[in-house]
Amino acid sequence: MKKYQLGEFEEVVILTIAVLNNDAYSVAIKDEIESRMARNVSMGALHTALKRMEEKGYLRSYAGEGTEERAGRPKRYFEITALGKRAAQYARDTREELWRAIPKSVWQVSMGG
Amino acid sequence: MKKNTTTPPASFQRFFRWYCHPDLLDYIEGDLLEVYGRRVKKLGKRKADLKFIIDVLLLLRPGIIRSRRRQLTTPYGMYKSYFKIGWRNLLGNKAYTLINMAGLASSVVCAIFIFSFVRQHLAVDNFHPYPERTYRVVTELHRDVVAYQSNVPSPLGEHFRNDYTYAEKIARVYTESDALITLRKENELVKFKETGGIAFTEAAFFDIFHFPLLKGRPATVLTEPNTAILTERMARKLFGEKDPVGEVFWFQNRFPFTVTGVLQDLPANTDIRSEIFVSYPSLRTFDPWLSDDTDGWGGIRDGMKCYVVLKPGVPTAQVEDVLSAYVKKFRPTSKNVHHYKLQPLRDVHFNAQYGGPVAKSKLWVILIIGAFLIITACVNFINLATAQVLRRSKDVGVRKTLGSSKSQLFGQFMVETALITFAAIAFAAMLAYILFPYINAFFQTHIQIDLFSDPTLLLFMLGVGVGVTFLAGYYPAAVLAGFQPVAALKGKLLHQRRGGFNTRRTLIVAQFVIAQVLMIGMLVIMNQMRFARQSDLGFDKEAIVMVAVGRDSTRTIATTFKNEIARIPGVEKVALCYAAPSSNIDWGNSIRFENSTEEVNFRTSIKSADADYLSTFGLTLVAGRNLVPSDTVREMLINEVMVRKLGLSSAEDALGRHIAANGGRMKGAIVGVLKDFHDKSFHEEISPVLITTYTEDYSNYAVKIDLASARSVLATIEEKWLELHPDQLFEYEFLDDSIAGFYTAEETSLKLIQTFSLIAIFIGCLGLYGLVSFMIAQKTKEIGIRKVLGGTVTHITWLFGKEFIQLIVIAFLIATPIGWWGMRQWLQDYKFQVPLDAATFLWAFGGSCFVAACTIGYQVLKTAGTNPVKSLRTE
Repeated sequence: MKKYQLGEFEEVVILTIAVLNNDAYSVAIKDEIESRMARNVSMGALHTALKRMEEKGYLRSYAGEGTEERAGRPKRYFEITALGKRAAQYARDTREELWRAIPKSVWQVSMGG
Repeated sequence: MKKNTTTPPASFQRFFRWYCHPDLLDYIEGDLLEVYGRRVKKLGKRKADLKFIIDVLLLLRPGIIRSRRRQLTTPYGMYKSYFKIGWRNLLGNKAYTLINMAGLASSVVCAIFIFSFVRQHLAVDNFHPYPERTYRVVTELHRDVVAYQSNVPSPLGEHFRNDYTYAEKIARVYTESDALITLRKENELVKFKETGGIAFTEAAFFDIFHFPLLKGRPATVLTEPNTAILTERMARKLFGEKDPVGEVFWFQNRFPFTVTGVLQDLPANTDIRSEIFVSYPSLRTFDPWLSDDTDGWGGIRDGMKCYVVLKPGVPTAQVEDVLSAYVKKFRPTSKNVHHYKLQPLRDVHFNAQYGGPVAKSKLWVILIIGAFLIITACVNFINLATAQVLRRSKDVGVRKTLGSSKSQLFGQFMVETALITFAAIAFAAMLAYILFPYINAFFQTHIQIDLFSDPTLLLFMLGVGVGVTFLAGYYPAAVLAGFQPVAALKGKLLHQRRGGFNTRRTLIVAQFVIAQVLMIGMLVIMNQMRFARQSDLGFDKEAIVMVAVGRDSTRTIATTFKNEIARIPGVEKVALCYAAPSSNIDWGNSIRFENSTEEVNFRTSIKSADADYLSTFGLTLVAGRNLVPSDTVREMLINEVMVRKLGLSSAEDALGRHIAANGGRMKGAIVGVLKDFHDKSFHEEISPVLITTYTEDYSNYAVKIDLASARSVLATIEEKWLELHPDQLFEYEFLDDSIAGFYTAEETSLKLIQTFSLIAIFIGCLGLYGLVSFMIAQKTKEIGIRKVLGGTVTHITWLFGKEFIQLIVIAFLIATPIGWWGMRQWLQDYKFQVPLDAATFLWAFGGSCFVAACTIGYQVLKTAGTNPVKSLRTE
């Protein structure tokens, strides 16, 4: 049984939110991911991921101000909850454990091959 | 300016709003707009639009779409509350509910009746196998005026069958109405009179018309002479439960027929009324002239029909062309007056010219009246509901402040309307079910309704329900939903909504227009009927009984019996004749005048009668003298119309001139000219009439009796008649009854329009009642103040009275031209008509004023009489 359910895209999103710190709202997250990782993020995928993580309790959101270019619609800012932090940490730990567990020779052979 | 150019595609934005979960809507829409704005700057509008669309489509995924379950659960409670509040409102305002329901229910009953009536007529003879290709051959007779006959010369069908290949099937049918059918059981004679008659039918008839055979072999049942098939009902009537096949019955005591088959009972929706079909070859013994293929061309006998089914693709014009050649070929000596035409089967029931019972235009008028009745009921509904609005303004105000949207309120009032409407329809359906037997008896219709097993009727009622809900509910619901909550809560609507009252006035006017048009129609029809019934027809119709001459009577028997009748005490006069002066039966003929070899160009109605005819019917001579008694044709009487048609200068001029009629077989000199009398109904002009002593044609004793002893006289005549003709049925009819029979269609129209106008007036009154209650509620204080300042009861009554008189006058001004135009159209059917005088219209006006006064009088007087203290104290 997995302790924390966190998909690859979700992990990227949660980390980006952490990077953006207090500025994390959907368009900013999208831009950040797109610029840092050179991948296209669709609005649909992003919002679904955000919603799912909020439901899981990894994220918390609050309504922000509305600006002119948003035609007065409020922004929705996201923060990582303690549980979210643990989940991200857990993901990182399990990865690193895996990295460490790789025998050097195998890795090199496979790289060389 | 800039904003306009950078809005995303509106339809996709709307689509997004529609599917997006409401919690997320604002945020995501904001995102979309922000990104869109950026893209427009970077990529241009077109690409940004495209990307926007892609984004919207990619957002269409489970986490973002609004959930269905939530949508279903919330409104359920709301609808329940709508129903509950609606129900409470209905119960809380019993008067309002009752008025609405009563008005709606009565108009829906009418609508159900009209719907069934119209549908029944549209369904007549629509079940036959070749509906598109079946025609009836009919005749137009072109003389000085064109006459129309649904009959043809008897040989036409046979010749057409042998000469041309246009037709797939041809069937000739000769129907003898009012058949005397007898059964011989040992020494006993059982007599039946069949009004449906007996039809001499070619077997192909049953290929053209779908009347399935239950017993007997279709190929052979009607081939041999003196064979017959009966409907099941008729077979049971004649022979009881035993197998009718092989049994024998007699027609007119002279012609025996053996039953070879049994037909399924004729359905209600057919115009074919005969239930006894006998083989066409039997006609040879019954009527040699009619069955003769050359002599038969000489004239047209009533009841001789010819039906054809054309091969697919054969144009009717081509067939009519070849038929027209028959006239020259087979009627070389006659004037060329016959024009044979093909009448489509689906036209037969609706073409009044050829004796169709219901013209389509009449069905339309009835449909329109039905629609009007429903509209009046809707108008009521609107009126009363808008009056209610004021009472409910607080309710609406509270709902609005608590966040009800306009559409929710609108929905709520529509639900309430639907509640009343469908309750009224259910009530109407019940009422219709109970009332239909009476309605049928009253209008002499045979409409059947199956409320629950008839899908079209159910669909119709559902349609009426939905239609009425929208018609009646839309306006009040829109008014209610449109309130300003502040004004509604402060109770300021009274002042705010003056305009609404005008709408209501307009509606009341509309109601009264409808009611008055119907009233005018009713009055004109009543006038015309009274005119037709009470005008001097030019002869006596009172106290005259027409007694049929026995079928096998010879001239001497008839004359002897006439003298015998004359001796009965109580009988004043007796004449032997073909028919009464005014009768549906007449014998049309083309005559030759003086030495001319050519027939005249008009139709003459020959009334064979003896010398007592004039005195019995009180006909008056304007010139010359009466006929002298004679057993052969020697002398002739004509009427003034005939004098004119013959182009003679005066009645005296006609005396002594010679006439040859019936192809020269009847010749005589004119000895007298009769003053014109109505020989037909008022629908028709007076025809040229010729009276002569042609004894072979005598078929009635016209007996003028003393009405005081009518019963005993008739009994004596019947007794003596049956002694003379024991094997026949004694038949008689009072002349005034048979003349009244000319107008049965009008009687039915009159009853219909009377009923409809009563209902329209009733509904109109309900509306008035509603309006006056509303006005009184509104003006309570005003009345109080007026009274305190010295206003009298008359003064206050007038305050309301003038309001309503105004409305009725306006309605009258609109109704008059409509009624005038409509009734002028109706009167066109009559050659002799009552004038459309002002009195009729004034009566309609006076009537509606009176009814209005009665409706509002009580309430107004009550209010006018209230102590002002009461009305002023309430605040």
